[in-house]
Amino acid sequence: MKRYLISRVIRGIFSIIIMVSIIMIMVYSALDRNQIFAQDPTYSKLGNNQKVVYKYRKWAEYGYLDYVTYGDYLLQLRNDEEITEEERLSLSSFARTPDGDSEEVAEYVKKFTEYYTSEGYTVSRLNAIMASPKKVASGGGQQLFAYKDIPLVRRAISYFSNLISIDNIHNVKEDIEGRGLTFTTRDPLSGGSFSPAIMGTGTTHKYLLYFDSSFPFIHQNLISINLGKSYAVNQGVDIAETMSSTQGSYVMKEVTFPTGLTEMSADDLHTAKYVAGSRESSKVYADRFTDDYTNVITNKNGLSKIGYSFVIGIISVLLAYLLGIPLGILMARKKDKLADKIGMIYIVFILAVPSLAYIFLFKAVGGRLGLPTTFNMESSNLLMYVLPIISLALPSVASLMKWLRRYMVDQMNSDYVKFARSGGLTEREIFSRHILKNAMIPIVHGIPASILGALVGAIITERVYVVPGAGNLLTKAINMYDNGVIVGVSLFYAVLSVVSIILGDVLISIVDPRISFTTKDR
Amino acid sequence: MIMNNNLSELQNLDDLNMSVDELFSKVDHDDLESEKITAPRYSYWRSVFRVFFKNKFNIVILSLFAFIIIFSYIYPMFSGYDRFANLMDSSAKHLSPARAMDKFGHNIHWILGTGASGESTFDAIWNGARISISLAFICAAINLLIGVIVGAIWGFSKKVDKVMMEVYNVISNIPYILLVAVLVLIFSPSFWTMVFALTVTGWIAIAYFIRTQVIIIRDREYNLASKCLGTRTTKIALKNILPFMTSVIVTLAATEIPSYISYEVFLSYIGMGLSEMSLGKLIFSAESAMVTPGWQIEFWAPVAVASFITIVLYVVGQNLGDASDPRTHM
Repeated sequence: MKRYLISRVIRGIFSIIIMVSIIMIMVYSALDRNQIFAQDPTYSKLGNNQKVVYKYRKWAEYGYLDYVTYGDYLLQLRNDEEITEEERLSLSSFARTPDGDSEEVAEYVKKFTEYYTSEGYTVSRLNAIMASPKKVASGGGQQLFAYKDIPLVRRAISYFSNLISIDNIHNVKEDIEGRGLTFTTRDPLSGGSFSPAIMGTGTTHKYLLYFDSSFPFIHQNLISINLGKSYAVNQGVDIAETMSSTQGSYVMKEVTFPTGLTEMSADDLHTAKYVAGSRESSKVYADRFTDDYTNVITNKNGLSKIGYSFVIGIISVLLAYLLGIPLGILMARKKDKLADKIGMIYIVFILAVPSLAYIFLFKAVGGRLGLPTTFNMESSNLLMYVLPIISLALPSVASLMKWLRRYMVDQMNSDYVKFARSGGLTEREIFSRHILKNAMIPIVHGIPASILGALVGAIITERVYVVPGAGNLLTKAINMYDNGVIVGVSLFYAVLSVVSIILGDVLISIVDPRISFTTKDR
Repeated sequence: MIMNNNLSELQNLDDLNMSVDELFSKVDHDDLESEKITAPRYSYWRSVFRVFFKNKFNIVILSLFAFIIIFSYIYPMFSGYDRFANLMDSSAKHLSPARAMDKFGHNIHWILGTGASGESTFDAIWNGARISISLAFICAAINLLIGVIVGAIWGFSKKVDKVMMEVYNVISNIPYILLVAVLVLIFSPSFWTMVFALTVTGWIAIAYFIRTQVIIIRDREYNLASKCLGTRTTKIALKNILPFMTSVIVTLAATEIPSYISYEVFLSYIGMGLSEMSLGKLIFSAESAMVTPGWQIEFWAPVAVASFITIVLYVVGQNLGDASDPRTHM
C-alpha cells in the first residue's frame, strides 16, 4: 500500500509538471503578447519609441522575456567597478543616430552589442524620431536595448525550483549586521509575557516561528510557497498571499512598534519582511522600525478569498450530504413511486438546466423572501451566506441523489440481498445495514474531492452573489492577461485534484477491505 | 380453469369418423428444414422505437423536440430577423410584450417584447437557439465519435491504458475555461473556434467513461468464449461489445448535448463566449436588464428558453437511451 501510494504521488507530481508546462506554453507562447496592452491606459498615451520600450519593459515584467537596456549594462559595469560613476554618466548619453556617437560611447555600444549578441539576445537600437530638424518628437528619444525570449524549459525549471522556498540567513543580499538566528522565550511583540519565538536577521522574514492568540496559535514563516507574482490582478503580490490574505477594511488596534512608538495601526508585525533601504526612503518606516524588516501584512476584518470560498463551500458540502443521502435512500426505497418520481423531476431539472438559470432563479426567489442577494464584507449579517450556500448545495444534492439511487437500485437485485430477505430481515434492516454500506463506497470516494473542491470556489455563484472568493481568480486573471496568476492558480487546482483523487482511493480502501491497490494482497 | 378448457377441447379421434390415412400424412425428415428457427424477425432499431413510442409521454416530448427544431432552424428563415432594424427608433427599445404589440401590431414576433436595440426578443432567442443547438450537436458528434473509438482502444489494450491514463491525468487537470480562453484569444471567438475549443480535450472524458465500460464487459464469459474460439479483437469489439454499449452511448449523448448548451451559456456569462448572438450571449448581454424593473423579461425569456431546450433534449435522450437497452424490449 505504501509503495503504491508513493508511486501514485510521484506520478501525480509528474503529471502536474507536464500540465504546468503545457499551460506555460499556452499562455506565454500561443497567446498574442500585444493583447496585454489592450486595457493599459499608459500604453495608449505613449507614442513612438517610448511605446516600443514600454512594451518590452512590460513583457519583461510579465515574464515573457529578459530585457536589458544600455543604461542597465553601464550600471552593472559600474557596480563591478569596471568604470567610474563619471564615466558612466558620460557614456550613457548615446546619440540620436549611431553616426553621432562619440568614440568612447561607440566603443561601449559595440561592447554592449557584442556581449548580449553572444548571449543570444537581440540588440535593438531605435534612432530618435524627429518632429523637426531640431526637436525630438514626443516619446521619440533614441533607445538602445537587448532582449531575449525566456525558453520554456528554463521558465519551468526556475518556476518549480522556486516553488517551495525555505527561509535562510543568506537571503538578504545587502550587508546586514548580526546575520543569524536567535531564539527567545519572550517575544518582544507579546508584551513581555512568555511566548517563544525564533527570529532571524538576514532572513526574508523576521519571525520564522512564533505563537500568538489567533488560531492555530503556532505560526511559521520558515517555509513559504511561492506560486509566482501577480501583475494585474493584485500588483506585485504573491499569488498564494493574494488567495490567503484577509480582505475588507482595516482592523485598527494599538500596536507598539520596535522603536517604542505606539500607534493605532492594522499592521501585523509578525509578518515583517525585509525590504532593502526602506527606512532611508521613508520617514514613516524610520519612525516605526529599528531595522529594515518593514514590509508587513495588515489585519483586515474579512476572510481571505479562499476563506470565503471555503466557508461557503464546506457548509454547502455538509448540507448536500445531509440532504442528498437520506433523499437518495428514500428514492431507492420508494422506487417508481411518487417520491421517486418527484426526485427524478428535480434531478432532471438540475442536470439539464444551465446552472446559470437556476442560480438566478434561487436569487430571484430568495430576494422575494427577503434574503440578502449580494454579499457584503462589512456587514455582520449571517443571512447573506444563505443564498450562495443554497445555490451550491442544491445542485450537489441532485447529483448525490442520482448516484446513490442508481447504486442502491443496482444492489437491490443482488444475491446477498435476496439471501438477507429470505433470512427474515426487515426491509429497513436490509437497506440500512446491507445495501447502504455497499452503495456508499463510490459516494465515499467523492468526499475528499468535494471538500477540497470547496477551496477552489464556484465561478458563477460567487459572481452572481458578489462573493469575494477564489472562484473568480482564474477568469479575472485570464481577462487581465496576468500570466503569473493563471499558472499559479492552475497549479493550485491541479494539486488539489490530484490529492483528492489519491485521498479518495485511500478512503475507499479503508471503508471497504475488499478493495486493495496492490496486486500482492489479492 | 384453463386446464379444464383445454381438456374439453381434446377429442377422441374415433369420433371424427376418418381413416388414419386421411388424418395423417407422412413427412420426410429434412436436415436443412430442421435447422431453421421459426422466430419472428427481430430488428433492433425497430424494437427500440416500438418501446420508445409505447410510452405516450415520449410522443409529447418528441413533438416538443420537433417544435424546438422547427423554431430554431425553419422559423429564422421566415422571420426576417434583423438585430439592428429598429436601432434608430428610441421608442422601440426595452418594450414590454404588451407595449411592443401595441406599437408593432399583434404578431408572433413581439410576444416577448423588444430588447436593447429595439429588436424582437422572440426572434433573437430562436436565432440564438439555432447557433447554440448547432454548436451542441456538432461538439457532441465529434466528441462522441473520437471518444468512443479512443475509449474502445484504451479499454482493450493494456499498453495503451498505461499511456492514456497519464495523458488523461494531465489533460483533465487543465482548467477548461483556460483552454477555451486561450484558443478564443489565439483565433477569433467564432463558431468554429468554439467547436474546436470544446472538442480539443472534450473527447477524453468520454473516452475515459467508455474505457471503464469496455473493461467491465471485456472479460465477461461470452467474450472469453469468443476469444477462445479465435475471434479477432476488432470483431469482438464491433460485434460483441459495441451492441452492448449502444444504450450507454445513447444515454451519454443525451447528457452531452444539453451540457454543451449549458456550457456555452456559462462561457458567455463569464465573458469568454461566441461573438455571435447565441443563447448564452443573449443572456450575458441582457444581464443588466435583469436588475431594471420592467425589463426583466429580456433576461428571463432566453434563460427560460435555454432551460426548456436543454430539458427537452435531455429527456428525449434519456428515454431513447432507456428504449435502446435491449433488456427493456421484452
